[in-house]
Amino acid sequence: MTATAARHEAPARRFAFRTPWRRSTLVPYFLVGPALLCLLTFSVLSIFVAAVVSLTNLDISGLADYGQVRFIGLQNYQSMFGDPAFWEALGNTAFFVLIGVPTLVIGSLAIAIALNFSRSRFFRALRAFYFVPAITAIVAISLIWGNLYNSQFGLLNWLLSTVGAAPVAWLTDPTIAKFSVAFVAIWRGSGLDIIIFLAALQAIPPEYYEAAAVDGADEWQKIFLITVPLMRFAIFFVTVTTLINWMQFFDEPYVLTQGGPVHATTSMSYYIYQQGFRYDEFGFASAASIVLFVIIGVVTALQLRNRRNADV
Amino acid sequence: MNGSFKRHITAIGLVAVALWTAGCGGSTNTSSTSTDKGPIQVWTMEDSPSFTALMQDFTKQTGIQVQVEAVPWGNVNDKLTTAVASGNGPDLMQVGLSLLPSFESAGALLDLSPYVKDHPGLQSSTYVGAVASDKINPSGKVLSVPWVSDVRVLFYRSDILGAAGISSPPTTWTQFHDDAAKLAQRGKGKYGYYIPQWDSALPIEFTWEAGGKVLQNGKVTFDTPEFRAAADFYISFYRDKLVPTASDFDQTQGFISGSAPMVISGPYLAAGIKSTAPQLDGKWNVALLPRNQAGTSLFAGSNMGVWAKSKHVGASLRLLDYLAQANAQLNWFKTTNELPTAKTALADPTLTSDPMVKIYTNQLQDAQLLPLVPKWDKISQAMLDSLNSIVLKGSDETSTLATLNATVSSLQT
Repeated sequence: MTATAARHEAPARRFAFRTPWRRSTLVPYFLVGPALLCLLTFSVLSIFVAAVVSLTNLDISGLADYGQVRFIGLQNYQSMFGDPAFWEALGNTAFFVLIGVPTLVIGSLAIAIALNFSRSRFFRALRAFYFVPAITAIVAISLIWGNLYNSQFGLLNWLLSTVGAAPVAWLTDPTIAKFSVAFVAIWRGSGLDIIIFLAALQAIPPEYYEAAAVDGADEWQKIFLITVPLMRFAIFFVTVTTLINWMQFFDEPYVLTQGGPVHATTSMSYYIYQQGFRYDEFGFASAASIVLFVIIGVVTALQLRNRRNADV
Repeated sequence: MNGSFKRHITAIGLVAVALWTAGCGGSTNTSSTSTDKGPIQVWTMEDSPSFTALMQDFTKQTGIQVQVEAVPWGNVNDKLTTAVASGNGPDLMQVGLSLLPSFESAGALLDLSPYVKDHPGLQSSTYVGAVASDKINPSGKVLSVPWVSDVRVLFYRSDILGAAGISSPPTTWTQFHDDAAKLAQRGKGKYGYYIPQWDSALPIEFTWEAGGKVLQNGKVTFDTPEFRAAADFYISFYRDKLVPTASDFDQTQGFISGSAPMVISGPYLAAGIKSTAPQLDGKWNVALLPRNQAGTSLFAGSNMGVWAKSKHVGASLRLLDYLAQANAQLNWFKTTNELPTAKTALADPTLTSDPMVKIYTNQLQDAQLLPLVPKWDKISQAMLDSLNSIVLKGSDETSTLATLNATVSSLQT
């Protein structure tokens, strides 16, 4: 038995020995190839195409007869920068990022640390509870929250009325709507961030805490002097991904408010969507998406550079 | 949030790629004879079971099989874009009047003018005046024919108006506003009237009623005293707190609960009230719109057009003929409460004997179409946003409307 197995193995080993160079250099490319191909066609190429389209007047009639498509230079960019709705969308996106990202990163970290205190059945159930929003379909979320927030028959206003408080225009007041929409997105985004933080927490060797306990550190000192510093990479990762997600903020305004009332919740992505798929101005929408792409690229590059400088 | 933006960028990209490759496919309309047996594919808006039921009769008469696909109103534009980009459309398609210009500029519809002679369903004389061929089609072409009509009238709760001491529905703007004020005094959460914040047609109706026009020399303008009067009237309901400010206020619910006892809507609202609140029977009614200089209402509704690349033009034309018959139009009215467009159907005793339908048909005599210009969606949204920012955010009326006028003229250069 063993002899046969050895004989079967032998040629393979010889083959491996004979072609060490080719194998070690080509195999990684084969493995990465399919993913790279997908990335090139569906991301890099489409960004490139969008950049070209952004210089044209492509709209629905151009789609039907491409003879009507003309290059118009930077005209789309010009009229976009002259459009107050564009600046409002940009401002709204900044607002959502400033509200959403710190709340999500700090909140998820705090919840993850709290959840990590015990592995009892109750805490495991809690973990599942916190993850549920992340795996719930956005349509279901919008139905539930739309009904909770509804000003005529919503549960939240009914609860307020039972204690005698005045009803709140959750989704219909231009200022309050921004917070209502951001809150749903925070609630939905927290599940994934908590899971990432929990995984990072569980990778911290218990010896550190034991040593700290021997030295007489209390729980707060353990959290701020051991846990948080050791979580730096996880915090960095969550911050970068959350920031990108929020700069592309789209789903919640789309399903809850359609960008309203009066543009109050129109984010950049929703603005692009409206221009492209409601008004059929594909050239203009491409120009707006290129601007958003550049902003996200710059912000992310800055973060990466800061991290390299901080040398963690 | 995750990835949806990337999807959009990709979609825009794919659309552009499709554009480069689409040129290869040729389009041929293979048959236009009466021997064409289909099967034909029809895209309708919503309510496909009713349409499928209607098609059974058509199939029985002609032997032509019909596949019906319902497209939700909200997805019409997406569906059109993909159909245009891919070249894969239906044979016959229902087109809302407001979307007609984008379908036309996309070249999505076949010019039916060569077939008009032999098909009564295509002839202008079949339909009521407001949707005559020359009003809904670019000159000399027949890209679509009327199917259902929809006209806005005043719905009111006679029981609530009576209790507030209002014996008959308002007939003038002044009465309308005064009655709304009386009704709003009933207490908290009670209003006089409801303005849908998404309804870009309402300020236009008000402009017509003030004696104005929105379309001048082929261009949309809001820089007229009549539009200003319409805007003032619109704003007055908010200023005097006679309408709900919540954008998620539900019209049908508000009417049924009595929170908004007056609303301006189309016959489909009557169907909604009858089915969800039969107990209200006799406690509500419809009336002609309150007048200022005029009592002009909105003529909405939808048309049917043959897809430019359809391979079953002959069978589609037979279906158009069938849909123009009084029988088919009356059957459709019975199931959906959507008004006919064919003169013979509108004159039918089953319609004229119904007092509510009488109001609809009377109002149809004084109703106009929204301007059929390609940028209408964008222009009307800008107009609506301006008015809503005045009433909801307290923006200054004069300067906001001045900005609107500048925006509207820059959109049409």
